[in-house]
This record gives sequence, C-alpha cells and structure tokens, in this order.
Amino acid sequence: MTLTSNMISTKAITKTVTTSQGELQILQPISFDVKAGETVAIVGASGSGKSTLLGLLAGLDQVSSGEIYLDNQPLHSMDEEQRARLRGEKVGFIFQSFMLVQSLTALENIMLPAEIAGLSDARKRALEALEQVGLSHRGSHYPNQLSGGEQQRVAIARAFITRPKILFADEPTGNLDAANGDKIENLLFDLNQQLGTTLILVTHDSELAARCQRQLKMHGGVLEDTSVTALEGQRHAG
Amino acid sequence: MRGNAMALSLSWRLFRHEARRGELTVILLAIVLSVASVLSLSLFSERLQSALSDKSAEFLAADRMLGSDKPVPDSWLEEARQRGLAVSQRNQLRSMAFANDKMMLTDVRAVDAFYPLKGVVKVSDMPFGLPQETRDLPALGEVWIGSRLFQVLGISLGDELEIGDKAFVVSKAVIELPDGGFNLFGGDPVVLMNLADLPATNVTGPGSRTDYDYLFAGEDSALDDYYAYLKPQLNRELHYWRSVKDEDSPLGRSVKRAEQYFLLASLLAIVLAAVSIAVAAQRYSQRHYDPVAIMKTLGAPAAMVRRVYLLQILFITLLGIVVGGVVGFGIQQLIASLIADKVPVALDTWYWRPFFIAIFTGLVCAMLFSLYPLLKLFSVPPLRVLRRDLGASMGSRSLQFVAAGLAIFLLMWAYSGNLTISAILLACGLLLVASLMLVTLGLIAVGRKLGQGRMGAWQLAWARISRRAMDNSVQLISFAVTIMLLLVVLVMRNDMVQQWRDQLPEGTPNYFMINITQQQLPKLEQHFVEHGVDIEHFYPVVRGRFAAINEETIRTDVSKEEDSNSRGRQGLGREANLTWSNQLQHENHVVEGTWHGEQSSEGEPRVSVEKEVALRLGIKMGDLLTFNIGSEVVKAKVSSVREVNWQTMQPNFFFVLEPRSMANFSPTYITSFHLDSDKKPELAGLMAPFPTVSLFDVDARINQLRSIVEQVSMAVEFILVLVLCAGTLVLVAQVQSSMDERMQELAILRTLGAKGLLIRMSVILEFVIIGMVAGLMAAMANELALYLLQTQIFNMQASIHWDFWLLAPLVGALVVGILGALSCWRLLSFNTSELLRRMI
Ligand SMILES: Nc1ncnc2c1ncn2[C@@H]1O[C@H](COP(=O)(O)OP(=O)(O)OP(=O)(O)O)[C@@H](O)[C@H]1O
Ligand SMILES: [Mg+2]
Repeated sequence: MTLTSNMISTKAITKTVTTSQGELQILQPISFDVKAGETVAIVGASGSGKSTLLGLLAGLDQVSSGEIYLDNQPLHSMDEEQRARLRGEKVGFIFQSFMLVQSLTALENIMLPAEIAGLSDARKRALEALEQVGLSHRGSHYPNQLSGGEQQRVAIARAFITRPKILFADEPTGNLDAANGDKIENLLFDLNQQLGTTLILVTHDSELAARCQRQLKMHGGVLEDTSVTALEGQRHAG
Repeated sequence: MRGNAMALSLSWRLFRHEARRGELTVILLAIVLSVASVLSLSLFSERLQSALSDKSAEFLAADRMLGSDKPVPDSWLEEARQRGLAVSQRNQLRSMAFANDKMMLTDVRAVDAFYPLKGVVKVSDMPFGLPQETRDLPALGEVWIGSRLFQVLGISLGDELEIGDKAFVVSKAVIELPDGGFNLFGGDPVVLMNLADLPATNVTGPGSRTDYDYLFAGEDSALDDYYAYLKPQLNRELHYWRSVKDEDSPLGRSVKRAEQYFLLASLLAIVLAAVSIAVAAQRYSQRHYDPVAIMKTLGAPAAMVRRVYLLQILFITLLGIVVGGVVGFGIQQLIASLIADKVPVALDTWYWRPFFIAIFTGLVCAMLFSLYPLLKLFSVPPLRVLRRDLGASMGSRSLQFVAAGLAIFLLMWAYSGNLTISAILLACGLLLVASLMLVTLGLIAVGRKLGQGRMGAWQLAWARISRRAMDNSVQLISFAVTIMLLLVVLVMRNDMVQQWRDQLPEGTPNYFMINITQQQLPKLEQHFVEHGVDIEHFYPVVRGRFAAINEETIRTDVSKEEDSNSRGRQGLGREANLTWSNQLQHENHVVEGTWHGEQSSEGEPRVSVEKEVALRLGIKMGDLLTFNIGSEVVKAKVSSVREVNWQTMQPNFFFVLEPRSMANFSPTYITSFHLDSDKKPELAGLMAPFPTVSLFDVDARINQLRSIVEQVSMAVEFILVLVLCAGTLVLVAQVQSSMDERMQELAILRTLGAKGLLIRMSVILEFVIIGMVAGLMAAMANELALYLLQTQIFNMQASIHWDFWLLAPLVGALVVGILGALSCWRLLSFNTSELLRRMI
C-alpha cells in the first residue's frame, strides 16, 4: 500500500448486525476518502446509520466487510487492543451526552487521555486546555456541578489535549440550547483550525453542517452524495 | 512502569472522589457489615466459649484429666509443667470408714495442694449446712466428709474417723466438690483427705483398686499438644483421657450445642455478608459501565482498565476491612461489657483467630463476589459511548450463581471445618434458589395476565415485576436467603433455649431420699405433707445383681467396663437398682418394642431396658435377663427399650420390670422432692424422725446447671440480636440498590406525568409482593434447613413451625414494603430534573 495524504480512506465498508429477526445490514457498501485537515459533516435522517458509520471510522467498532484506513493504518484488520492504542494516539472524541467521568473533576477528566497515553506533562497540558476553553476557575468541579455547555467545553478540552490528528464528534451541540451550541461550535472550529485537525462530525443542524468543507449524506444505510463545497475548492486552490 | 503508576494514581483518585461523594457507600457498607458482624460474632463467641468451657471445666475440676490404674511416670507430669500446664494429682478409691463401731463404704479422695484446678470446693460446719466456698484443703491428719456419712456413722465435727490404719479428725462437712459427679445412687459419701496422708492408711495396697487421676489446666493448644505428646505412650488398658468437651460429660452436650449455635450464627453472618457484597458489587459494576467505556474509547488498553478497577476494589476492601474491624470490635466490646456481670467473659484476653477470620472473610467475599461483576464491567465495549444501551456482554448468569455458591460453600467449610453443616446450608440454599427461579417464572406468567388492561398501581407493579424478571429473581433470591437465614437463627435459638429450660423447670427436685422402708413410707409421706413438702412418687427399689443374658453368664470384661463407667453419670455397678411399675416415667420414651403397661401377660415377666445400657451390654429385644436378688433368681424378657433423659432430676432406672415378677420382694423406696433454698434450715427437722433414710442434696448441682443454662441462653440471645441487625442492614442495602435500578424508570414515569401516588403505590406493591413471596419461600426452606440441622447436627427433636409459615410472609411483606416505601419516598422527593441528572 502506498502512503497517501488521506487521513481516512474507506473501501466498500459494510456493517451487518444480528437481531432477533435475523441479519440486518445497517450500512450498504460505502467508499470515500477524507484528506488530512479536512472538515466533514455526516448528515441524514434519524436511524440512517450516521453514528454507526462514525463508530466504524473511529475504530470503536469492527466493520463487517471492506477496508478502512485511518492515517494509513488498516483499522479493519486490527483487534480491539490495537485499535485502542490507535485511538489513544491519533483520535479525539466529542459526544452528544458529553461522556465525562462523573467521579473525576473537570481537570482530571481533561488529563485522562494524556495520562492514558503516558504523557508526563498531563497536568500542565490540562491546565492550558482548561484555560483555552475558558474554565480555569472550574477545574476542581465535578461534571454534575457544571452546566451542559460547560461540560461540553470540558469535553472539547479533553478531546484536544493529546493533539489528535483527527477528531470525531457525534452531535456535539445536540443537547445544548442555541447560544451554548454556537459557543461550542466556534470553539470546535477555532481549535480545529489552530491545530490543523481533521474533523468529522455527525449533526442534524444544517448550519453546523454548512460550516464544514464537505457533507456526507446518509440515507437508509447508503451514502448518497458526496459534495465538495466551494470552501474546499478555494483552499486547495490557495 | 509508567502504566502501573498511572493506573495506581487514577484508581486512587477515583476511589478518593467516589468515597467522598458517597458513591461507594453501599459496597463499603456491605464489606464493613460483613467484617464487623463476622468479627464481633466470632470474637464474642470465642470469649463466651472460653467462659463457658471454664465453667464446665469445673465439672472435671480441670480442663483435661488423665485417668490411670497405676501411677504414671513423673516425667509425664514434668513434661506437662514444662509446657506451662497446671498439674494436680488425685487418688480415688473405695474404702471402709469406721467410727463409733459402725462402718460404711466411702469414696476416698486424696488430693494434692493444687486441687481443684477449676471450680471450688464448698464446705460447711454442719452436715447439709449452707455451703461456703473454700480455697483450703484438709490439713494433714484431718478429713472432710460428706453429709451422709455423719448421718450414718452418727458422728459430728471433731470426732474421729478411721480409714485403714490411720485415724483422722473430721473437721468439715463437704457440701460440694466440683467433680462430685452425678451418680446419686451408686455414689458413696466422700472422704476428702490430703494426698500426703494416703500412704499411712495402707489402703492402696495390692487388691485395692485405686484410680490415679492427673488433672491438667491451661491453654487449649498447649493441652492438645500435650495430649499429642502423651498419646503414643498411653496404654488403652490402663489409661484414659477426658476433656470437658466430651459429649458424655454432664454439661458437654449443652456446651457443645451452644458452640455449634455460635458457629452456625457466624456461618450465617458470613453468608449474609456475601449476599450483601454480591448485591453491592453488582450495583457498583453497573455504575461504572460508562467510565470504563470512556476510558477504553480514549485508548486505555484492557490491562490498564483491569488494573484501575482491581486496585479500586482493593482500596475499597481494605478500607472496609479496617472500618469493619473497628466497628466489629466496638460492638463486641459493648455487648461483652453489657453482660459482664452475668457472664464472666474476659475482656482483656486477645484472640487472633476471629480477626484473621474476619479479614479473610472480607477479602474473599469482596474479591470473589465482585469477580463476576468486574468481569462484566471489563467487557463493556467502547462503543457504549455512541450506543448508550450497550451493556456488558458476558456469558450466562448461571456461571455467577455457581461461582457464588461455591465460594460461600468454601468459606463456610473453611471456617467451620464441618462438612455436614456447610453442606446442609448449601443444599437448602440451592433448593431455595431453584424454587425461587420457578416462582419467578410463575410470577412472570401471572404478571402477563394481570398486567394487561388499564394501568393502575397493581398493573404497574406486576408489569415491572415480570419485565425485570431476571433482576427480580436475583433480588427475590437475596431477600429470601436473607429471611431464611434470619429464620434459622431465630427458630433455632427458640427451640434450643426452650429445650434447655425444659430440662430444669422451676420446682425441679433438689433432694433425693433413698432407703425408705415399707413401714416408714406412710409415716414419712404424712410427715412431709404436714411440713408442706410435696412428694410426687415413691419408686420401689430392690438391689439385684445382673447375672446373665439368655442364660449366658456375663463375661468378666463387662465388669471392667462397669468400673470405668462408674466414674461417670451412668455407672452401672454389677449391682443394679431394679424397680417395677406399670407406668412409664416422665421423660422416658420407648424407642423399641412396646411398654408392658397394665395388662399382665403369661409366661416370662417383661422388663424394659435403658437404651445405652442395652447398647453397652449388647442386650437385644426378646433377650432373657437373669437377676440375682439375695438368694432368689428373677428372669425377665426384654419387651421394650427406653430412652431416658438423664438431665432431669428424677430417679431413673436401667431396668423397669413388670410388677408381678417382683411381688415376693420387700423393697425400699427412692424419691425426690423440691425444697426452696430458704427452707433449707428446716431440713434437719424434716429428716430427724427418719435417721435411717439417706438424703442427697443436689441443690448446688442444679443451681450450677441452671446458671450455665441461663448464661448460655443469654449469650445465644445476644448472638441472635447481632445476626438480626446484620440481616436488617443487608435488607436495607438490597432495597437501596434495587431502588437505584428503578430510578430511571421512575424518572421516565414522572416525566410522562404519572401521579406521585400511583408511582408510589406501585413501587410499594412491588416490594410487598416480593417480600411476601420471599418470606413464604424462606419459611419453607427454613423448615428443611432446621430439620436437617436439628437432626444431623444438634441432636434435637425436630418439629414443624407452622406459625412462621404465616409470620414470615407477613413480616417479609411488611419490612420489605416499608423499606421500599421509605427509599421510594426519598427518591420521589427529588424533582424530575434532579432525578434525570442523578441517572447520568
Ligand atoms: N447493534 C445493532 N443492532 C440492531 N440494530 C442496530 C444496531 N446498531 C444500529 N442499529 C440500527 O441501525 C440503524 C442506524 O443506527 P444509527 O445509530 O447509526 O443511526 P443514526 O443515524 O445515528 O440515528 P440518530 O440520528 O437518531 O442518532 C438504526 O435503525 C439502529 O436501530
Ligand atoms: Mg446517532
């Protein structure tokens, strides 16, 4: 395999699950590439398979068939341990329900990926990240003492602390009101730009989707349309 | 390694935060409870047991005794002293005592200065006088003698008494010797003398049969070691070893039963602890699904996740053990000091065993019972962060049950060293679990029917029970097991204490009279009635020699048996007291054949034989027994075998003949009566007109027995209270954790606008139903467990306890319902958003 500049590359990946009614194919063969630094929105109706796709791309789940490369690493042939290491090294996550560890403070939550990665300056990095999301004064608070927007900011700080090459976000603003949602969006795109991270997010919010360079539209487990936005054209040209 | 350090620090931080935020309370409480209850129970029972065996050691005047027909080598005694044991020597023999030209066979006991090692000698300055404890022993040239000897020989204090070649001054009346024994009729009056005086009497020459008894006292372990040293050198023909724990010692059975009860209670405490830890660990695991999924998502390798959580469980366990140890010790100390004036438990002695047991229990329970929930926890997939409904994907639950059952069984076995008790409890538990599974399935079926239709509180309750059938069955099982264990401890205690009390009811005869002649009988009866003393029954007695079984003369080795047995309660001399009656005595039960009764029969007269004598002498139903009475011969056919309760204070007989066989003999009479202690001074006057009648005073002995029974009962009571507390706490923990699982559902119902009352009613009903079913099943399982325990372990009469079949479901429903209502009320007092928040 030749090294490409693709951050993600999928070749006819499918996902089939076994239910009580038999086999159910929830993803039809899907192929597409995402370049390093690109921002991509996965959109589509509820139940169309967006989260499933995201899970596969992020190495949280195993494909049923097809090939999937993340930063040129063959995710499809790795076991859970290898995928975990890859996630730790290259991937950051943001979720709709924040997914903070309830019994760790905000600061400790942010430190967690750095600690897992064995970085010795975890605390220092976490303090900086906390500063960047504007929550320096809340470091010792537990998640349930923070508002939804604040929790998501902590989650963002956590996602960026290891400087991941690629960031996955599943409806990052889904649980927030409009004002907080905007704040989170801005933070996300700012950090993304500063660090040159590849961003893949799932959203129902068309405004948010529009801020991405590219939109992948899911429909009943099928990737319908790949459109390259004008923005991307400009960037490639420039 | 970095990973290790990181796991340690993360795990420590998680532990600290969660502990501070009260998230570990339930599992911590479970461990604290298990350690505290096991520690306090076993520490307390260790102390009680040592207090009790001290008390019962008094019956031997020592902890152990070596009996011998010849003096033993000095080196044996020296060895015992070297091992830190107290040693005392006592020589015992039968010898004639002479005074006033009269003589009587006496029980001579020559003792050294260390006698008795346990218990005290009680004496008085007059025969049958009020007992006074003394630490002294007869001085050289003096003897202390039993009250009856004064009576028979017509002597008083200060008179001379000759034993063999030596004359002694009688200086005190012996009222009670700790090792006085229970043989009322074969027993000759005691003559207590200094061991140094014995050689001068010249009664120990060849032909006399002297028992050389060596008494030992000290730590159990030292005694056991010493016996191990001694054993290879002992000759079964010459020597025998006795301990207070031998079942045939007078109190052995009661003490042994009490010990078994403590053991049982501690075992049940262990099981309770295990159940509560299992429940708590389950809850702990479920609450950590999210953190595990998050850590895995963030790239933590499986080994790191495992390390973090194993460490955390370790921290929790250690904290639980420390806190539990302190609490348990405190509880035990409190109880011991509360009853210190009733039961002399030594608070300063330190026992290590209970601490080891408690720590071991805490460790094993925490590790084994959190193993499966932890394995489940480790299997939580990272994808849970996206698909919230993904839980742990682990194999069957039956694996968990098997592992849990095995762990409990091993713990019980390791602790008790008693396979039977452990097996009985496990088998009953398994049966209970199996039938509960069936009941659950039944409930689901019923629930499906009832749950249809309009959503009232009933429907909601049933629907929930059946929907969460598997969870409910676990809950049902843990409730039922808890209730069953409580029932076992409760009912066992009732039965046991009752049987102990029954042995010595108020008004138990405390005096025996023998040698009442036929002519004296009417006068004596009237005289006693005039003095307000009731005598229930006079038993006619004729002394006879037991000569042959089926015309076969009894082998000589029987007499050897007799001799060694004459030291104990049931001494059957070659001479036996024969009585006759048509009526079966109280506390006598025919176990084989039929009682001869009123109807006279043709042919050989019939005789009823006591069970143990029959066993020892090899007497079978239908055997022809021959007795020599004076110069006459009486033959009788064995028509029944009786079991006799020797612990009742009434005359008991090995042989009861059909009256017609004895018509030609003129008997003397034996009887027993009760006299209140305050009437004791009247005794001399009461007996004065009948100088030939011999009186035995067993009042002291009865009081001794009664005080032990009371102490044991009280101890048992406290143990019961401890176990009840532990059980209640377990129930609370169970309700709490199951409430937790309901939180989500309650929040949803609340959000959907269900009325608080409806929710509350349905939850309470759910708990009431579960409590009732658990109570009923527990009552049934309890019956089985009790039957097996009482017949196999405690040697008690088993009976069915119908009242508990009603009581257990009622109390179960009530208690579980109230606990459910309380925690439900607490939950519903949060508003909806807080509920939703707590769920995350
Ligand atoms: N393990 C599974 N077993 C059965 N069905 C599954 C499984 N995983 C996903 N599905 C189904 O596949 C479909 C796609 O699910 P997915 O969560 O990817 O949808 P989505 O596009 O993220 O929807 P939403 O916008 O509501 O989050 C759904 O119909 C879901 O029920
Ligand atoms: Mg989704």
